[in-house]
Amino acid sequence: MPQFPSLDWFRKVRDVYNSDTSLHKGGGGACHTNAAFRVNGQAYLIAFEGQKIGDIRAASTDELKDVDFVIEMPDDVWKAMIRNVKEHGKADMRYTLNSIDLQQEDGIAHSPTDDQYRQDLFYRYNQNFQDFFDASARVETTFG
Amino acid sequence: MTTKAPQGMAVPAAVSEGGAGGKSVEGVPEPTYEWMGLSAEWGTRVKPGEHGLRIGDLNVGIYGEVPEVWEDQTRRPRGALPRPGVPPLPYNLRSKHQMWADSAANLYEEAIQRRWIPATEVPWDSLKPLPDDVERAMCQVCTELMQYANTEIEIITYWQDQMSYGYYEVKQFLATATFDCARFIEALRKRALGNGGGLGVESRGLVNRMILESRGGWTESVAYLYLVRGTFMMQVLRGLLNAAHNDAERMIFAKAIEDWSRHLTYGYDHLKYSVSHQSGEASIMQTLLSLGEVMMAAELEESTMRPALAIVLGGGIAGGRTIGMETFLHLVGDFVRNYLSVCEWLGVPRAEMLHPMLKKYLEY
Repeated sequence: MPQFPSLDWFRKVRDVYNSDTSLHKGGGGACHTNAAFRVNGQAYLIAFEGQKIGDIRAASTDELKDVDFVIEMPDDVWKAMIRNVKEHGKADMRYTLNSIDLQQEDGIAHSPTDDQYRQDLFYRYNQNFQDFFDASARVETTFG
Repeated sequence: MTTKAPQGMAVPAAVSEGGAGGKSVEGVPEPTYEWMGLSAEWGTRVKPGEHGLRIGDLNVGIYGEVPEVWEDQTRRPRGALPRPGVPPLPYNLRSKHQMWADSAANLYEEAIQRRWIPATEVPWDSLKPLPDDVERAMCQVCTELMQYANTEIEIITYWQDQMSYGYYEVKQFLATATFDCARFIEALRKRALGNGGGLGVESRGLVNRMILESRGGWTESVAYLYLVRGTFMMQVLRGLLNAAHNDAERMIFAKAIEDWSRHLTYGYDHLKYSVSHQSGEASIMQTLLSLGEVMMAAELEESTMRPALAIVLGGGIAGGRTIGMETFLHLVGDFVRNYLSVCEWLGVPRAEMLHPMLKKYLEY
């Protein structure tokens, strides 16, 4: 049973997401972005490639400058979000990325290079990222 | 030899055997093919890439030459040979800095691929009766947002008509933006009329009027439409998604956020291009924004959007007076912070000169 957060967990979720197009509510294939999710000090780089998610790997802080944006939130919020997704089959209204972003003082998404264009990708493809995390409802998860 | 067509057959009524074994229509002049050798660049063979064949991929050879000024006042597609004698048309925007954004081609593709269908894809059966005050507030918000979208359609089409074909990527993208608006109006109307309510009262429309009366150029309209109104509207959409009462609203506002994110990306990108390529534009923007802020602030004070949103965000009139209004003020505070951040990124810093009526929202 994969543990959150871990590379294994993100890859398991990717496999679920890639294997079932009914999970893709974010619309057509135009979702091309390299994002990073930062959990408890560790960053995971994720390449969204149209309808699929490609490579996922752990990354150093230095590598973050090359991504379009980073999603970062307190460890307990990450875990509450994943638990909420599991409980409801998808995030309920309190735990969508949009809701959490609104609730956090400085938001949860930022561009490491302060590039407005790249940061806007978080909103342009928001549903794809939500679909990804909603896919985690099908992954049995333990928490570290 | 002339042959007669069987009875009842449509045109051609009579055909004759052609010299090369084919048939030619009787009485029709022989076509000439003088135009066949006329091309500014022939032999182009663009191949689809990793993401398919996108319009941005077509920018090869002369077809990819996007001039700083496009003097041609005809409908000639970029890269086609001009025809002498074609009368000019009123394409008054003929400089790249007046409309360009590098992202336009990709945004067009994105809009085409990420389309959605309110009639069949929104789960309308998830609409359930809401308390009367919430339903009335929700319908009022829908009514005002429809006017935002109407305004966007009108101002885009006003200027789109005047944009030269040298920058066709922008015209293509803006066509999708107007379609996004039409679809949003459709979805909002369906939401308002689908749950026991109806449309509310027309907005006084201070900012709508400001946008529609911005006739100094498309860039001026973009400043008002996307930087001022659009940045606010994005926060409203995000607040509505956060407060969605059912899956239908959830889908409508989630999709609208993605659609308007493209509009804002184009808008910010264009303003950035204009400011960095046109001498004096940053200074003009400062003046425009100082005026725009006044209108925006006035509308925030008096618009019915304010109490209606507070009620939606607070779950009713009682909640609207407390947590709802508090959430609304925070939403406006986020708008102002985002607005200042984008202005800074554009090279048009407004923090020092921000209108006091907007500055007060930074407390929230």
